[in-house]
Amino acid sequence: MPPVEEAPAPELVVDAEGLCKRYRFGGEDVGVLAGVDLKIGAGEVVALRGPSGSGKSTLLNLLGCLDRPSAGRYVLAGCDVSALSRAAQAWVRLHYVGFVFQSFNLIAHATAVENVALPLYYSGVPRKRREDMARALLDQVGLGNRHAHLPAQLSGGQCQRVAIARALACNPRLLLADEPTGALDSRNGAEVLQVMLDLQRRQRLTMVLVTHDPAIAKLADRQVHLLDGRVVETEARAA
Amino acid sequence: MTAWRSEGPRSAVQVLARYPGRSALTVLGLAIGVAAFIAMVSFGEGARLSVLAQFQTLGTNLLVVTPWAGQRQALQQPTQPLTDLDVTALRRESTTLADVVPVVRLEQDTARDGLHHWIRLQATLPAFARLHQWSLSAGGMFDGVDVAQRAKVCVLGATPVRALFGDSDPLGEVVTIGGVLLCRVVGVLAPKGYSTGGDDIDDLILLPITTFDAYWGTAAGYSRLELQPSRAALMDAAKGEVTEILFRTHRIDEGQEGDFHVTSPLEVVRAVEKTSGILTGLLRGIAAVSLLVGGIGIMNIQLVSVAERTREIGIRAAIGASPAQILSQFLWEGLALTVVGAAAGIALGLAIASATAEVMHWPRVISASGIAGATGFALGVGLVFGFLPARRAAGLDPIEALRHE
Repeated sequence: MPPVEEAPAPELVVDAEGLCKRYRFGGEDVGVLAGVDLKIGAGEVVALRGPSGSGKSTLLNLLGCLDRPSAGRYVLAGCDVSALSRAAQAWVRLHYVGFVFQSFNLIAHATAVENVALPLYYSGVPRKRREDMARALLDQVGLGNRHAHLPAQLSGGQCQRVAIARALACNPRLLLADEPTGALDSRNGAEVLQVMLDLQRRQRLTMVLVTHDPAIAKLADRQVHLLDGRVVETEARAA
Repeated sequence: MTAWRSEGPRSAVQVLARYPGRSALTVLGLAIGVAAFIAMVSFGEGARLSVLAQFQTLGTNLLVVTPWAGQRQALQQPTQPLTDLDVTALRRESTTLADVVPVVRLEQDTARDGLHHWIRLQATLPAFARLHQWSLSAGGMFDGVDVAQRAKVCVLGATPVRALFGDSDPLGEVVTIGGVLLCRVVGVLAPKGYSTGGDDIDDLILLPITTFDAYWGTAAGYSRLELQPSRAALMDAAKGEVTEILFRTHRIDEGQEGDFHVTSPLEVVRAVEKTSGILTGLLRGIAAVSLLVGGIGIMNIQLVSVAERTREIGIRAAIGASPAQILSQFLWEGLALTVVGAAAGIALGLAIASATAEVMHWPRVISASGIAGATGFALGVGLVFGFLPARRAAGLDPIEALRHE
């Protein structure tokens, strides 16, 4: 769905209520998330913060439909996705969600173009067209001259830009980034962040950004702090 | 909407081409299995056909009487050779026989122009050629007049012609047999090739039995009597009748064992067919097992491959590949391996079958059903054994898989 400019009412992309996640470890029930409420409007950027073990990654997995909540309700862009089958979850990830990981997670033996074209392949776009689209996306993230390079031939910052292009390939509504600059030096990190925020603004993407870095978190519209599986504090960006 | 479906084979081949060494090793087992299967089927079929061909040279509508001492020697009972008396009695008394042809066999030297060739001499009557369904490539068979006149004529098989005459025309030429008998060549037998045992069927020379008698004598009896029942259906009746008549001419008492053997090539053919059928079945079974082992090899390597590529599978799942898409990717890879293995196996199997046929002088049999069977079985094996690794890949939890190093 093309991004709608100036929607009349702030539409909710993420609408989660009472999200819980429990695992069983050696017969013991371990709660990781204990009732998280989170509403994020279209085009909003939210920074997710909290110490390690606070449940940030688990929450991100739930928001990205990689996982199902043990309890609670999660409506993504108007559809209830709390209890989908694995195949349906995959479909939602493909069409609604883009992931950017700390460790890039590119496919090592595939070129930049092939990596970016992969989601398009799974959504059924013919080869010629998806490669054209992938090249256009790579141009957008500033890798116009690196189309045929393998990840091993690219710097960390370039790899992450390929990953961003891949995350955006199927026009997602929600971009999830887990410490996207965590594996980069500060200069490359700043560049990658800049590319991501530019695209976010241009396409009015909704974005959730997990970060430890307060300076990065400040760039978000809103910061959500997690502790022991609960939202303990929400602060809006100082105007 | 189905690009991932139609492109499955292509991307599978690309993945396999990335690890050529491993892919080759993976398909080796299956290739050997397919090759074994095809070769076995061809062996069986080739052996069977060559046995059949051999008996066709004899004619299947035929009874053969050979002297056979058997137990009589041990029991010190008299044994008698097969003689003209027997031939006459059979001709006169039997109601089921169309023809009685005596044959004397002797190994003899043949010579022409200083070239020598050691050969199987067969002295017989003109009907021999018809009984053995043996046509002539040049000239004709000696006839009744030749027999009556003890004519010094002979008919050569293809092998002595090659040995003694090379490319020149043997008709009308003279060969010396056993250093004493000079015979004019009146006919050349059409070549029949080799028997299952590797014997050269064409290595013989035919002579009127009377001519032979004049030089070497037939007092020791005939090597065999070849009898043709008047109808194929009378085979069993003829066998009984022949036994009865010869018991009488040889004065053998009821209840004793005879001093001769009556066999029919047809019985031998049936026995051979049965044995070779069992053998072929056994060989196919062994080949099927090797195919199965090849399939298990593919499964093992694919399981290793899934384990090694866990992280890649996690990435694909995270960006939205459905379990069905991942399943299909690995199924295609298994299938691509199988197809490559089957193709290599077919080539290898045909090569082995051809080489064996060459060495054994069998007819070369390219068994379409063998190839189809092996290919079908291999593809089935590839799908079945490719399924387990593919299902494991599709069943991976994306979060776990992404954490995999």
